[in-house]
Amino acid sequence: MHIPDGFLDPLTAGVCYIVAVIFIVYSLYRTRASINPEIASMASILAAGIFAAQMLNWPLPGGTSLHMVGGALAGILLGPWLGGLVIFIVLLIQCLVFGDGGITALGANVLNMAIVDVLVGYLIYRAIAGKGGRPHRWVASFLGGWLGIALAGIVCGLEIGYSPSFPYGVAVTVPVMGLWHLVLGVIEGLITAFIVDYISIRSPSLILGGVLSDEPTLQV
Amino acid sequence: MSLLSRYRKALLAIAVLLVVSPLFGVIGADLVGYHEPLDVAAEALGLSESSLWSGFLPDYTVPGLSEDWLSMSMGYIIAGVIGVLIILAIGFIIVRLSGK
Repeated sequence: MHIPDGFLDPLTAGVCYIVAVIFIVYSLYRTRASINPEIASMASILAAGIFAAQMLNWPLPGGTSLHMVGGALAGILLGPWLGGLVIFIVLLIQCLVFGDGGITALGANVLNMAIVDVLVGYLIYRAIAGKGGRPHRWVASFLGGWLGIALAGIVCGLEIGYSPSFPYGVAVTVPVMGLWHLVLGVIEGLITAFIVDYISIRSPSLILGGVLSDEPTLQV
Repeated sequence: MSLLSRYRKALLAIAVLLVVSPLFGVIGADLVGYHEPLDVAAEALGLSESSLWSGFLPDYTVPGLSEDWLSMSMGYIIAGVIGVLIILAIGFIIVRLSGK
């Protein structure tokens, strides 16, 4: 769901840029105190992994494709602030080096994938994984990945659909984006759940944004 | 470099993703036609893309390589490797800075 140049009304693009800058500055402020080489290494590896995973476009029957976004995964593993920054770095490199996502739409792409997807995924995970064990974690990360992408799709639909010259666009774009991402997001949810499950069994200390340890989370 | 040894498995997984990526990103997209929901919504509204900046490696292709599927696949992998290396380089700088 990388929006290219030309899809957004200038006002929408501008507002999204402002929201994105505020989020990035605030995230840097929130992570500054807790960042250390260990956490920074984890975040780098996750960013590289999400970048690579996004290169796999899954063509689906019916002629629609999707690729993983990974925002919810980043939020669950690193917390919303560092998780958001990880997705931001991926989006920035995709935009500048590969022309994937427009320069004018970078703010909107950050809002959808680095803010909405990350925060929704993180909050759902926190709410459900709370007290439970492995099954709770599984359901929590599945729902986080699934609904994170669905909501990101809806917000993306609002952005591309809204324009002062064509006020009813959202009535078309929001259902299209929302429904498709609700369907395709199931796959994102499954991948998110498998990865979180794998990491929480193999090396639970790597889940910083989660609720596995009794310590207060490092980023939040 | 501790990053490499500590996360050897994760880096291996990333390498595997990059090697198989042309199956999905080039060959699969060519067979089925890459068409994500965003394109469907944009079409319904008559929005069209305007390319202000297409990047140094536009759409994960390497300029100068020919257009057959083998070259495109190689280009896709090279683009992926470059992207991963840039991200790890940024990460490495942050790791160093955060240790001070």
